Amino acid sequence: MTAALAPARPEAAAGRTAFAALAARELRRFAVNPVFLAGLGMITWILVTDPGGNVPEIDAISGYPAAFLGGFGMMAAFWLTRSMNPSEPVTGVTPVTLPARTAALCTVAILPFACGCLALLWFIRLHPVGLHMYGAFSRPAQVAILTSQIAVPALGGPLLGVALGRWVRFPGAALVVFLFIFGWVNLVTVPSLFHPDSAPVTLLRMFSPFAFFTLRPIHGDPSHIIAWRGSPWFFLGWQLILCAIAVLVALLRGADGRLRSRIIRALMIVAAGAMIMLTLAGTGGFAHPVSL
Amino acid sequence: MAGPMLRAGAWPAVVLLSCVAAVVGGFGAAFPAAITLFPVGFALLAAAAAFTLDEPASMVVDVTPTGPVRRTAIRALALLAPLAAGALVLLAAGLRGLALPWPATGLALAGNVLLGFTVACVARTRTGEPGAAASGAVVLVLMAPILVPPVAGWIRTFPASGGGLSSDAVWWTVLAVCVVAIAISISGRSLPRWMPSVP
Repeated sequence: MTAALAPARPEAAAGRTAFAALAARELRRFAVNPVFLAGLGMITWILVTDPGGNVPEIDAISGYPAAFLGGFGMMAAFWLTRSMNPSEPVTGVTPVTLPARTAALCTVAILPFACGCLALLWFIRLHPVGLHMYGAFSRPAQVAILTSQIAVPALGGPLLGVALGRWVRFPGAALVVFLFIFGWVNLVTVPSLFHPDSAPVTLLRMFSPFAFFTLRPIHGDPSHIIAWRGSPWFFLGWQLILCAIAVLVALLRGADGRLRSRIIRALMIVAAGAMIMLTLAGTGGFAHPVSL
Repeated sequence: MAGPMLRAGAWPAVVLLSCVAAVVGGFGAAFPAAITLFPVGFALLAAAAAFTLDEPASMVVDVTPTGPVRRTAIRALALLAPLAAGALVLLAAGLRGLALPWPATGLALAGNVLLGFTVACVARTRTGEPGAAASGAVVLVLMAPILVPPVAGWIRTFPASGGGLSSDAVWWTVLAVCVVAIAISISGRSLPRWMPSVP
């Protein structure tokens, strides 16, 4: 009881104050970053000009928030992280450690995530769940799909940007990764067009930070919507674990001693969780593609 | 002079981006359904071209008797890397039997690479290492027709079916503007005062 009521150590309180001040400063820098503002402006424009209602294919419009909030957020976070590198000889001798500064940088992801949540709500208002374009998925599963396509990429992108900024010196790394992920998502979707029944192909489609779940058939009746295999809920879990991996990898830079071993242990646990989530995402959901 | 100038170039960045572009474009050739990978690969080649003028020792190099015209001409040799990677992708697509409009695709490849180089030329008048900022700007512009739905209806940067200004018209215009911009930027004139310097 006495221990519970004992005041916190003054060093811990000072550390928390310094962290809060750092996080607030990084958040302000991120909020005025032109790349982030450009992405935010683009997604606002797309949502404002969206007429709403039923559309032939939901996947044709649901990916834009991921590109503009997640992709552009990643580039902004990468440049924000790298911008501190030249001043490292000065900041490196301050009492705040590199992992603490990295953690403060990671908190900036709250802003694009909040924007992603707002975009999700706006999107659902324009295209309410239950419409034909969402396919045969249940209403909760439709919300899970939209969350995984709109809100979570807005969180994961900036976190990946911080991790890249901490570990990669190449100044164009964020661009390369953005284009690579864009290409990868397109690439792993292609086999599902021709082998929608295959479990390994579904697993490959899920092995990505973003995935499509429905398809409007190119041949046959274009009014049909095919709901692909794969569990939206477990895919959401896989995405959140990828976010955790990005944070841990970013924190690993500059960590030493006990903290380093703790981060590595956490990384191993999280990696095991990622494998489980990916397997469940690939094997869960419908047993076969369902046409509606 | 040409040897040291070329050796000092940002070869890791140029070669890395060209290789990634070749891989991305190669997948586009291997999987014709993923045709979007071609413009993505070309945008990466433009980013590679934007790194060719990076000069970490610009404070020293810029005051040597070798003028910007000669320096730029020597560094332009590095454009062979992205052009070769692009040619490799087109060759792979040809071998796979893809029915692309080859002259228009070749023009788009040359246009992408020249656009990246031009933005780097213009930015080089203000900074020694324009690669990061120039490649970012170029990629965002080139990806706009893919990322922004209304832009895809106005212009096309890759020859494909659809509405809007044809890619040939876009790239011939871009090529003409690029030639003028390069000529102005290497003639020793700096950017207008209202244009901010690249950090």
